[in-house]
Amino acid sequence: MNRKSKKKFAVFAGTGCRACEKAILDIHYQVHSLSPWTDIVFWPYVLGSRWEDLDDDVGIDVCFFIGAIRTSEERKAARRLREKAGILVACGACAAYGGLPGLDNLSYAECGRVESEPEDSDLIPSVPSIESRVSSLSQIVAVDFVIPGCPPTQNLLWAAMQALICGPESLTKLSYTVARLPENISRAITAGILPPNGSVFAGEKAVCASCSRLKEEKKFKTVIRPYQKYEESGRCLLEQGLVCLGISTREGCGGICTAVGQPCRGCFGKPEGVYDPGAKMVSAISSTFESESAQEIETMVDAFEDLTGTFYRYTLPSQCSLMSKPQEE
Amino acid sequence: MSAFEPKIITFLCNWCSYVAADAAGVSRFMQQTNVRVIRVFCSGMVDPSYVIKAFDGGADGVLVGGCFPGDCHYISGNIKAMRRAPLLAKLLNELGVEKERFRLEWIAASDSALYARVVNEMCDTIRRLGPFTMRRKAG
Repeated sequence: MNRKSKKKFAVFAGTGCRACEKAILDIHYQVHSLSPWTDIVFWPYVLGSRWEDLDDDVGIDVCFFIGAIRTSEERKAARRLREKAGILVACGACAAYGGLPGLDNLSYAECGRVESEPEDSDLIPSVPSIESRVSSLSQIVAVDFVIPGCPPTQNLLWAAMQALICGPESLTKLSYTVARLPENISRAITAGILPPNGSVFAGEKAVCASCSRLKEEKKFKTVIRPYQKYEESGRCLLEQGLVCLGISTREGCGGICTAVGQPCRGCFGKPEGVYDPGAKMVSAISSTFESESAQEIETMVDAFEDLTGTFYRYTLPSQCSLMSKPQEE
Repeated sequence: MSAFEPKIITFLCNWCSYVAADAAGVSRFMQQTNVRVIRVFCSGMVDPSYVIKAFDGGADGVLVGGCFPGDCHYISGNIKAMRRAPLLAKLLNELGVEKERFRLEWIAASDSALYARVVNEMCDTIRRLGPFTMRRKAG
């Protein structure tokens, strides 16, 4: 293949833990197999790239933006990459919804500007100022595609990379993952064209749809936290008193956490049909209370700790309707 | 006198509280005019997202009215509302909604005086609290 027709690929990470970048590297050691289709032109974490490497004449075809936006530098980076990139992808829960760093928005305390006074600012880099609020990528610039997850599961990540980078030559059109994506996305990938703008590389329904556990009548006696002992009976975790966010979370992961007895933490964000994940969880949990006495219910409710941090663990800046703010641009 | 007039959304059940609200007007009980009534078939159908959406849309308070426990037209709809309310109130509280802004009340069809009293009480309390401002940090 002619080198000129290779797509230019970039990866940039804002505030986060680098697990998404490792997830890309870790796709069964497959990333190098993309080399006939792409040149990686910018990836500070892996290639040590600097902003100077992105001259005006270097365009980017596909850019994966990872991590939340918390500092002025990251905001600038998001704007710059949006200008340069043909396709900007919010990769991982932080970029997509604000992620764990987004829980900082719960604190009232304003972060003061971290001021440093370097004698020679060229040699000693200054610390970028911290914004008062953590934002998801889509709250700063327009985003073309979203790959949710903390980190995104390898099959979805690989499907997205193949679909966006290899296009019609992609081998993913034959893959099982593609068949599990919503119909409009999987059809586009199979046909070798780009999925509709704004597509989320994940399912449409809730995690419960792909969770392998046995769901019977839900009754809630006391809340159990994941570290506490419970009987592993293969039954729905919510039924047993664990706060599992499966009901208010988009599927696509295949229920991998619930399969091993860990309640869903909600890293795929909410499905389309849910207005507010917290409200959905309140509804789901309280409908499993058995008691008819107001006092008993009060006592049960007292046992729940940190509802906001649990229900909006990954989505506070963008999907909590009482704490999110509209998109800027 | 402050210029602030609260907006209160009330979800009233078709069989008891809405009838009480209707009768409160007919009986000429004095009521403050800050409430916007939404008639629902049962307090049990008021999903927590309706309440959150009301606050998101600019309401300063939300009142859910249902039949007394045991009186529900659909047998146990109001019990469902009762189970939901404490957890929802706790979540709202964490999100910065004061607990006075969300109330669940049992108002029987014949008790229009109670309806008028609850509405007036709630209007006064919320007027004192001031407008509901979200904890959204400035961007």
